[in-house]
Amino acid sequence: MSRYARLYVYFLRFSFSRAMEFRVDFFFRIFMDALFYAVTLAFFWVMYRHSPFMGGWNFDQALVFAAAVFLNDALHMTLFSNNLWWFPIFVNKGDLDYYLVRPVSSLFFLSLRDFAANSFVNLLLAFAIVVWSLLRYPEPLGADRIALFAVLLLLGLFVGYLLNFIFLVPVFWMHNASGLRETYFGLSQLSSRPDGIFTGWVRRLLTSILPFALIVSFPTRALFEAEIGWIVLQLVGIAVGLFAVLMLLWRLGLRAYASASS
Amino acid sequence: MAKIGLATHGLARENPRFPGQAMIRVRNLSKSYTVHKKAPGLWGSIRSLVARQKVVKHAVRGVDLDVGEGEILGLVGPNGAGKTTLVKMLAGIIHPSGGEAQVLGHTPWERNNEFRRQIALIMGQKAQLWWDLPAADGFLLLKEIYRIPDDRYAANLAYLAEVLDVEQHLNVQVRRLSLGERMKMELIAALLHEPRVVFLDEPTIGLDLTAQRAIRDFLLAYREEHRPAMILTSHYMEDIQRLCKRIVIIDDGRFLYDGPLDQVAQAYAGQKVITVHLRRGDGSPPPAEALAAFGDVLTAGEDEVQLCVPRERVAEASAYLLAELPVADLSIDEEDIGTIIERIFRERRVEGA
Repeated sequence: MSRYARLYVYFLRFSFSRAMEFRVDFFFRIFMDALFYAVTLAFFWVMYRHSPFMGGWNFDQALVFAAAVFLNDALHMTLFSNNLWWFPIFVNKGDLDYYLVRPVSSLFFLSLRDFAANSFVNLLLAFAIVVWSLLRYPEPLGADRIALFAVLLLLGLFVGYLLNFIFLVPVFWMHNASGLRETYFGLSQLSSRPDGIFTGWVRRLLTSILPFALIVSFPTRALFEAEIGWIVLQLVGIAVGLFAVLMLLWRLGLRAYASASS
Repeated sequence: MAKIGLATHGLARENPRFPGQAMIRVRNLSKSYTVHKKAPGLWGSIRSLVARQKVVKHAVRGVDLDVGEGEILGLVGPNGAGKTTLVKMLAGIIHPSGGEAQVLGHTPWERNNEFRRQIALIMGQKAQLWWDLPAADGFLLLKEIYRIPDDRYAANLAYLAEVLDVEQHLNVQVRRLSLGERMKMELIAALLHEPRVVFLDEPTIGLDLTAQRAIRDFLLAYREEHRPAMILTSHYMEDIQRLCKRIVIIDDGRFLYDGPLDQVAQAYAGQKVITVHLRRGDGSPPPAEALAAFGDVLTAGEDEVQLCVPRERVAEASAYLLAELPVADLSIDEEDIGTIIERIFRERRVEGA
């Protein structure tokens, strides 16, 4: 097992130990997310009572998409959300210092240190909804397509993480992160809408420079569409491009990091 | 010993103190920040929103420094003098604006892992351990981060926990520990991997006297055993006097003095302290105004008179005191090191005003 995998096992152990201490929060989080899932599914059901197709998808396809949105959201909440929430605070309070003196990737540490164990049950719940939505799909999907869907969902998750971090890195220069956070949050809502509802330059923008619309839609498209080469290529290309942008911004940000006086 | 004016710098100049073997080597290092000034009040905020007045703040101004193996260098200065900025540049946390630094042959702000594996940073005002977990769990994570072999980890942890007397607290959540116990755990966390260079930024701040003493004793013992190069910043002169043979006095980003602690008095103490113990019931001491003619009157009581006088007037003042007062005992001492340093900063503030 590689060193980073062993480090991640420690993060998991510590995060679970800590989460068990706060029992009320643990159960409250499960209740809140279950409510969110129920409301979203009801929303799609109501929408499709008025129109058989939306953004090119029928109700069954939209249900798989909604389930994929839940899974993407639960994964993001469980793996990254807490960590990225704290990042601007660390920068402004000088708490980044200890992360920078350790002989490991500071990005790895800052991004994955805190596993939201109290979201873990929701992750299982979201995964179960995805399985249910695929099982009830009226046509056979094929194991290869489902495997590709799973891989692309993870790639979409990675794109979402990169976008989130890229929106936060300017805190090195701006110091106040609330505007950055709100902007990211507003734009990230677009990932929970099928990309087919966007047209023209908005669609081009949301699937290239600000690729929020492809995070969940593209993996879902890979399940249903015949020609998927371009979908895969675009998702991989955008993930690689965003990773390069994050690395560049990170290096520049650390040069500007002023820490805080003691 | 070196009393430093506005230093002239020679890049890559060899320091005769550590010919070719300094573990920390700094040449002409500087750090400046651009900050914006804002007038007070709402109107000031509105004006600042439209047009900002930018000011360059020089935190460190072209300093030179060498620290050798087994040396504890004390970095002394008032708040905002540049101590922490210098330490953070040497730990690789912040980038300098100019100059060079080598720590164990590495440029710190390149942050390569080989460099980071060999240093430790301890900040008295910041915690590195996980707050909700026992310190022992945090140490396991550090074992993995620094790739400490099992046997070395067990031996180092046993040694550090025993010397710092915290063996019984290793499995207690960090947030349930006292401040002193937490600081000891932070020291263990920083030293488990046997760093060759240690940066200590106010390690005893806020601790009671017993805990301060325990940490000082530990640092001395650790230095003897492992011989790391250490840089210590502290506002407590007791820390500096007990731990450091050499100090750097820094103010406004410049080094004012870099040399042996015991020679600060010779370099800066233009004054000596005369203490006179008086015989009881032999009359009252002369008025403070008469004593003030020789220098600062520190005490003027019925039992004791204490004057701080310029060195060249010590003989004259002593003769006056012996002639005019019922002297039981008279002693002449150098000024206390803390007082000297305080006076240096006070005088610089007055000159700058």
